[in-house]
Formats: sequence, C-alpha cells, structure tokens
Amino acid sequence: MEYGPPPLFNQGVSARARLAFFSLVASALIIIDAQVNALDAIRNGVEILLYPAQRALLWPRDAVEGIASYLTTLHGLQEENARLRQAAVEQSQHALQAAQLLAENDQLRKLAGVRERIAAPAQVVVALYESRDPYSRKIIIDRGSRDHMRAGGPVLDENGVVGQVTRVFPLTAEVTLLVDKEQSLPVQDARNGLRAVAFGGAEPSTLELRFLPANVDVQSGDNIVTSGLDGVYPAGLPVATVTRVDRDIKDQFARVVLKPVAGMSSSRMLLVLMVDPPPLPPPAEAARPESGTSLRGNARAGAKAVRR
Amino acid sequence: MSARWPRLSGARSAPAADARPPTVSRNARPEQVLRPVRPGFIWATLGAAFLLNLLPWGRAIWVPDFFAVTLIFWNVHQPRKVGMGIAFVFGLLMDVHDAALFGEHALAYTLVSYGAITLHRRIQWFPLGSQAVYVLGLLLVAQLASAAVRLWVGGATPGWWWGLLSSALGAAIWPFLNRLLLAPQRRPAKRDDTRPL
Repeated sequence: MEYGPPPLFNQGVSARARLAFFSLVASALIIIDAQVNALDAIRNGVEILLYPAQRALLWPRDAVEGIASYLTTLHGLQEENARLRQAAVEQSQHALQAAQLLAENDQLRKLAGVRERIAAPAQVVVALYESRDPYSRKIIIDRGSRDHMRAGGPVLDENGVVGQVTRVFPLTAEVTLLVDKEQSLPVQDARNGLRAVAFGGAEPSTLELRFLPANVDVQSGDNIVTSGLDGVYPAGLPVATVTRVDRDIKDQFARVVLKPVAGMSSSRMLLVLMVDPPPLPPPAEAARPESGTSLRGNARAGAKAVRR
Repeated sequence: MSARWPRLSGARSAPAADARPPTVSRNARPEQVLRPVRPGFIWATLGAAFLLNLLPWGRAIWVPDFFAVTLIFWNVHQPRKVGMGIAFVFGLLMDVHDAALFGEHALAYTLVSYGAITLHRRIQWFPLGSQAVYVLGLLLVAQLASAAVRLWVGGATPGWWWGLLSSALGAAIWPFLNRLLLAPQRRPAKRDDTRPL
C-alpha cells in the first residue's frame, strides 16, 4: 500500500523512450524469428513455463465434452455402432485386397530389383488445441522432442494427410495444417497420375493446385494423393478431392480448388510418421539424373496398373 | 493519482470570467475517493486475464483479448504501477502460446500500453460508454499492428479481418470489467453495518 505523495520530478524514463525501446526490441525479435531460427531456445523455455497452465486450462473443455458424451442418447450410440461395423466390414475387404496387392507388389519389386520401401515408424498423438491466430492454421500436439518428435514429419488422421510438424518444443510440437497458406506438398491426381503441387487455398479450409495450364486434365471429383516426390510424405496418401475447376479464358492457369479429406480441426487423435527428411543433395549431384527414383516411379506405376 | 475532486472539475469547466464561486457543474458526477490498490490484486487480475486467453478457444477468433483489455484498465488507472515492460513480457508469453511470430503480441501490447498511458488522464473524464470508444481504438491499434507485421512477413490471409470483431467485443466488456476491477477500491475503509448506503 502506498500512502506517500507521488514523485513530482523523478518520473523515471519517459514513456516515449520506453515505447521506442520496447518497439525496437519487439521488431528485432520479429525479424530474427521470421528470418532465422535463432530464438528456438527462448521459445522452448517459455513453452516449458507455460505448459502446466496450458494443460490445466484444457480441463474445462474436456469436462464439457465428457458431460456431452455421457448424455449421448442410446439411439445415437446404436447408430454410431452400426456405422462403425459397416466401416469395419468395408475396411476388412480393403485390408484383404491390400495384403494381396502388397504380396504382388513385393514380387514385382523383387523382379525389378528395387530396394524395399522402408515402412516409417509412426506415433499416435493427441491434438491439444488449435492456435487462435487469424493468420495461420496451426495445432499443438502433446508430444515433443522428449518423445523423439522431429520437425518435418507428416501428420495423418484416419482419412488422410492433415499437415506437417513444423516446430518442436520439449513437451509439445506445432503442426501446420495443409490449409495454411504457407504450406505446400507435392501431389498427383490418382486418376491419371498428373503431378502438381497443392498449396493452402485462397478460401478458408481449402487447398488449391497452382501453375497448371488451363486445358489440364483435372475434373471435379478427382482424388488427389501424395506423389512422394519430396521424400517426406510417403506416396499414395489421400490428400483431397477436387471440388471446382475454373478454366477462365483470360487466365493462362486453371484454378483448381480442393477440399481436404482429413478433418482439419475436428480430429483429436493423429498419427505422426517419424520419417527422416532426406538431406539436400550437393549441387554437383543435383544435376545428374538419379536412376533409383525413376525405377521406383516405374514400379509404382506398375503397382497402380495392377490396382486398376 | 486516480482520486479526483469534484470541485476541481467544476472549476475547470467554468469559464474564468464567471463570478460564481466554483461549484460542481451539472455534468460532473459525484466521485468517490478510491482506496489505494493492492499490488497483489493487479497481478492476480492480469494473471487471470492471461489464463482466460490461454483457454483452448480454437478457431473462435472473435473472442476478445481479455489480457489486452485488463492491461488497458491498469494502464489507465495505475500507470505508475503497470507499464510497458509488463505488456512486453506478457506479449512474448502470448506469442509462444499462439504459435505466432516471436514479438508480434509483444509489439502490439507495447503500443496499446503506450496509448493507454498517454491517454490515461483524458479517458477517466468520460462516462464508461465513451471510455469504451477509446478502448476500441486502442484494441484496433493492437490488431492492426499484428496485421501489419503479418502482411509484411507473410502475405494476406483470407478472412483475417474477422479478427477485428474481437476488438469490438473487447470494448463491449469494458464497462463490466471497470466495475469489477474497481470494486475492491470502492470498499469503505471501515466496515459499518449502520451506514445508509
């Protein structure tokens, strides 16, 4: 409690000087963070400090959801049960087909002399919360570098690709969703194998294929899957379906709008593939065509033909 | 300090040539002399507002920035106790939570704090409804600062201006927050059950 008179002359540093100082420091931090990743140590420290509060504050939401699910009617549960059973039957059929295809594929690979594709180990994670930032689409998951999480790993849910781990803290990690405008991944059209790059769309919660000519063979309803050309995402994961193709005569590019198949913010359980991003090739080797990739590409095309 | 005298306000609004003795003008409301604030209460409310921001709001970008409104309140009422340093530090914490650029909220909160401290003598003369307009202006400055940083670093995002709605809601909670946070200082000094009010 303060009962003395306020100091009349000694007011400390003037408000404008303080404003200039703190604005300069903040601007410097923004520039450093946007250009280089030099501030990750500070970020990690702050994240560890905040972590207990963040976890504790998830409790009210989880409690509300728990009560809501407790009050679910019997009818709803029966419906869900029937739907899940049907899905299980359909998936078991797919699984049988997949086993058969896998055997065939193995045989073809052995014939072609291609090395086995290594199955990436995966980790099931829980999405904690989505960041309330109008300029980006990111979610925070409950595993971090302590659980050997590494930046770059693809994140999937039960339907398809959700996004990519972009920043790792000791206890948590940030996942940038595919619909973020900064995010892109190489894809191909499952119908005709056309390769393209999908970016976060101009409309919220959509993707788009950019730089495709106006007469490109993409129809609405096509399934878009990963092409695996980047070496990060395994090939053939479902990404999106085409909802609209605008072939404007004024524009030389087609405007292809996609709807992601994965639930972008609704899914709570996610799968992170622990792949090692391939190191960038040295410049001298980059120009030389690599025989391995083309062989793998051929084998994949063969597998696709078998599937059809 | 924040305690003000009704007679002084009458003297200021009356013209100097007026022969009448300085009295309380019609517009001046009777003001209560506030008790000194406890530093613990300031910290507790700032912390609580920050925790409200930390709740998993998800994509609800219209939710007001509780911390910014509370910060403006303390900057206006206790500018010598709550300054730009506190705004800056809490801004950095907010950046890490929101997965934003490091320093983005820090810059926005610093600007808000400077604005509130500069305007603190003026804002207190107005009734709560008009104060909310000032608060709306300060919150919009913060949001536009964030937007400017993002547009400079990244580029336009579809629908980012929906976030401006949160400023309007933040200004709307100002009168309630004002009553809530001033309540401990409006308590009578001594407990008296026979007091008429």
